[in-house]
Amino acid sequence: MHISFLLHHAYGIGETVRATFSLADALAAQHDVEIVSVLRHRDAPALDLAPRVALRHLVDLREHAPAGDRMDPAHARPAKVFPAAEPCFGQYSELTDRRIAAHLRRTEADVVIGTRPGLTVHIARQTRRGPLRVGQEPHCLAAHGRGLRLALRGAYPRLDALVTATEADAHAHLRRLRLPGVRVAAVPRAVPAPRLAPADGTGRWVVAAGRLTRAKRYDVLVRAFAAVAAERPDWRLRIYGGGPEKPALRALIDELDLYNHVFLMGPAGPLESEWAKGAVAVDPADREPAGTDLAEALRCGLPAVATDSPYGPGELVEDGVTGRLVPAGHPAALAAALLELIGDTAGRTRMGAAALAASARFDPAAVAGRHAALFGELLDRRRGSGLRGSLHRVRGTLIGGAYATKDAARAAVRGVRTV
Amino acid sequence: MPVDLKADCIADSAGGLTFDLNVPQGTGTTWSAALVLRLRAGTDDTGTAAGGTDDTAADNEVRLPLGPNGPGRLRAVLPSTVALAEGRWHAFADLGDGADPRRLLPGVNDLRALVDRRPLAAIGRLGVRIPYATKLGNLALRSWLRGPHAEAGDILVGPEGITVTGRLYGASPAAGAHAEARARRAGRDPVAVPLTVEGPTFRFTLPYGELAAHWRHGSEPWDLWLCPAEDLPPVRIARLLDDVPEKEQVFSYPARPVPAPAGELRIGPYYTLDNDLAVRVTGPVGRE
Repeated sequence: MHISFLLHHAYGIGETVRATFSLADALAAQHDVEIVSVLRHRDAPALDLAPRVALRHLVDLREHAPAGDRMDPAHARPAKVFPAAEPCFGQYSELTDRRIAAHLRRTEADVVIGTRPGLTVHIARQTRRGPLRVGQEPHCLAAHGRGLRLALRGAYPRLDALVTATEADAHAHLRRLRLPGVRVAAVPRAVPAPRLAPADGTGRWVVAAGRLTRAKRYDVLVRAFAAVAAERPDWRLRIYGGGPEKPALRALIDELDLYNHVFLMGPAGPLESEWAKGAVAVDPADREPAGTDLAEALRCGLPAVATDSPYGPGELVEDGVTGRLVPAGHPAALAAALLELIGDTAGRTRMGAAALAASARFDPAAVAGRHAALFGELLDRRRGSGLRGSLHRVRGTLIGGAYATKDAARAAVRGVRTV
Repeated sequence: MPVDLKADCIADSAGGLTFDLNVPQGTGTTWSAALVLRLRAGTDDTGTAAGGTDDTAADNEVRLPLGPNGPGRLRAVLPSTVALAEGRWHAFADLGDGADPRRLLPGVNDLRALVDRRPLAAIGRLGVRIPYATKLGNLALRSWLRGPHAEAGDILVGPEGITVTGRLYGASPAAGAHAEARARRAGRDPVAVPLTVEGPTFRFTLPYGELAAHWRHGSEPWDLWLCPAEDLPPVRIARLLDDVPEKEQVFSYPARPVPAPAGELRIGPYYTLDNDLAVRVTGPVGRE
């Protein structure tokens, strides 16, 4: 198969880039794989990409780039295809609309995959007849605002498949978007094996990692750790990552006199180096779209304490086996679970070993295998019935169009902009 | 363009470092291949690869033999016994092919042995090296070489003063032992406070009053020293024994409001760029 990923910015860092690189590399063992980066701000990718994966860009925004993309007036005009409600809308333009459309019209791939909702909308609407149109959801549906959900409802029925990171998110898409004929499948994000020995669990550090945003609920974790430190002052907490909540968290740590126990470490390079220093991983998030950071902790052999909310990281952890699940937003419950693991060295060791074994399912080879099987099956089915594909697309267009009309009418009443 | 050379660093608890380089398979090395460490002059990222091999005797360059370690891997070892002067060292690879040494990039570090490192208190001279990435993303080492050394531990910003707990290496506190705050600005006397000692562990409380009384304008830093005995030279108090190359952002402490005749001052501890412990007294105007 020839598989083509459409990525926002392959030269940056972030969960989606990392997961896409891992998956692309593993697929490239048996398939022809390319990554098409809509934007390019840097000369070389910040993360390692295997040489067997082809990489190219559509719009060159490097400071010293000769091409006039930065100066192109079309790049100053807002995008029309890329949904306005997408968080990245500001970085898209008429120029990106045009380049993405040209790419999708010409693509030779058998499968094209969008790696964020706005790009999946492009793929659903603009891919030439032939390739499988696949959306891969980096965030859960619940995290999207109403405007974006409406935009997706208009476009997603034209997809062949939608891949979510969790079962809960797959169900949410099926429930809230009408997607007849679209295969919705949950496949975990690819997380490679760590490049160093697993954690030995001898340290007395609890480790968390992720963007410091509200949804991650590190405030709940800091409050929980006040109770942990009161009982076990020999244990400490490191939170890796940067983000808008940093000043608020700093103030909370100072207010609770936890500055000798809770440390904001800032963004880390390869996270596996940091997980390996820990004894317990923790993820207090209300909503955890893919949970690749926590999956990486499990792959480093750390037992995890995670929140069990509908869109939380709960699916990654088996309660009592690879860690503990606690209700979201509940510092006391989180503290109790942490203290339980802290107080039970044997249990911690056992759960760490179980986490190491169970997390092998995140291995890129396993995840790539599931993707390849899904794509292969859909391609076979289409070949079996040449008519089916075009029928599905016609139906998808009709559903999308019906939604668009309805939503536009509704938007006109509310004064909301739609695509 | 030649491919980037990345080095994975593995630390041992004694202070030694192993560098594992990923090189294209088939990369040949000669007897003279070396991992070259150069003491930074000026700021990070201005270091050049110039210099060649003729000044190897200089104190500001250390060459570690670089040998094969399996296919596509080269290894060099910096034992704890090799002393590195205090400062920032940039890492290069000289493959012995006659070309200029090439700047190394950081790979995957395994620094778990540095976390909560606790050497024997009797250690004569303490060597600490922490690998880090410079602003431009190159591999460098932060090095300290101290003996005796006073390691700062927990710090409490209390209602009366700042209480520092720590551990003394390479010296035993004796009669006359005390802690001292020395103003970095001229014309202010040092502030001495008594020390509570238990084996190698020390503790002292620096009250706000005297620091506030000395304040004149702006932001005034005070460096903290430990004087182990009457006749021994004072030791700078620092935090070195972990895996964090730059402490200030990570080990951050609140500043306490302290009333003074000129208005409300703020007094709080912080770590300097060299990870030495200091206290900042900031006036009502000098704040950001």
